[in-house]
Amino acid sequence: MTTTIPTNSVTDRGLRRYADVRDLLPDVDNPSPLLRLNRVVTGEVYLKLEWLNPFGSVKDRAAAAILAGLERDVGLDGRHLVEATSGNTGIALAALAALHRIPVTVTVPEGIPEEKKVILRMLGAEVWETPDDLCPMDMPKDGAIALARSLVASENRFVLGDQYRNHDNVTAHYTTTGPEIWRQTEGRVRWFVTGLGTGGTVTGVGRYLKERDRSIKVVAVEPQPGHRIPGLKSLAEAKQPEILDLDLIDELVRVDDEPAYDTTRRLWREEALTVGPSTGAVVAAIGRLDIGEEEPVVGISADSGFKYTTYLAETLGDEGLPRP
Amino acid sequence: MTDTTHDQRADATLDCSGLLCPLPVYKASLALRQLSPGQVLHLVTTDPGALEDVPAMARQTGDTLLGVERTETNQLFWIEKGPHR
Repeated sequence: MTTTIPTNSVTDRGLRRYADVRDLLPDVDNPSPLLRLNRVVTGEVYLKLEWLNPFGSVKDRAAAAILAGLERDVGLDGRHLVEATSGNTGIALAALAALHRIPVTVTVPEGIPEEKKVILRMLGAEVWETPDDLCPMDMPKDGAIALARSLVASENRFVLGDQYRNHDNVTAHYTTTGPEIWRQTEGRVRWFVTGLGTGGTVTGVGRYLKERDRSIKVVAVEPQPGHRIPGLKSLAEAKQPEILDLDLIDELVRVDDEPAYDTTRRLWREEALTVGPSTGAVVAAIGRLDIGEEEPVVGISADSGFKYTTYLAETLGDEGLPRP
Repeated sequence: MTDTTHDQRADATLDCSGLLCPLPVYKASLALRQLSPGQVLHLVTTDPGALEDVPAMARQTGDTLLGVERTETNQLFWIEKGPHR
């Protein structure tokens, strides 16, 4: 018995060959995949699978742009890169900086998954775990940011990626993610949904899409205060990032931990998508929106669940374990 | 904010001169982890922000701030490691 391979599978993609890991970074000619959901939600809903980027998350884009910007603006020779991160930006920065032999220190919020800390250390980064309330004069939940800034202010050799203020973070999404979505949907996208973290994705993609068509709805997903969804920030307990342009956001949807993790589990089991909890939050939010027929939705799937197995295990109880 | 009535013995000294807050607090927290309960860390800082940050850290961690002195250029702290860290 022979199987006929559909013509659309036999493209030059089968011959893709790369000379450097950086060539795997996504752009309009090498976009991250857009995958339709068929079971967990109704309607024409796509996830942009950013965890297939070379360093495993949507942050690959920002990290590449931030590093290029630092090289352009201040130079990186003899520098020591510092970044406050919940993990993904640090992972991508550490991977890229390693190629340049630039040392990296990341300040991370206390309690981020052990997996992320190990990945950062594997990439050669020094990991400073920071209590959120380290700096009582500052906003709670911003301890890692305050620590990174104080480190850079203390010695000249330190240079800060500063993803919360660095407009290269926004530019990365304005020049890659946004155009990719526009092209991959052939201009049909009507809704764009993403988690709220640094604000880089929602601002960069939102700005690009609204410049193409002002009526496209941009939705940001916010977690509950004290949440357990890595990568997302609650504006109720953290400063509004300076690069975040709230005017671009049509709807701010709050998704609590429970629906986010429930949806994450459904995506694993019903769509066979091994996504992280922030993707669960995005898809849970999509399920609540008043989306009309013939209105394609694109959500960002920021990273995979493999970095969060300790968090995911907490939600499983004794599920999947043998019983006497 | 000068209190010289406390015992100025210390089991370890951490000089954070030139470092801006919250860096001294973070480094002090790491240094205290190396000590045993009841031992005292002498912390030297130059950022006046430490006058608020260090007492707040001690309250949160359960360590005891034995004394604080302020000179023209420095803030000096004596912190006793609490029993529960």
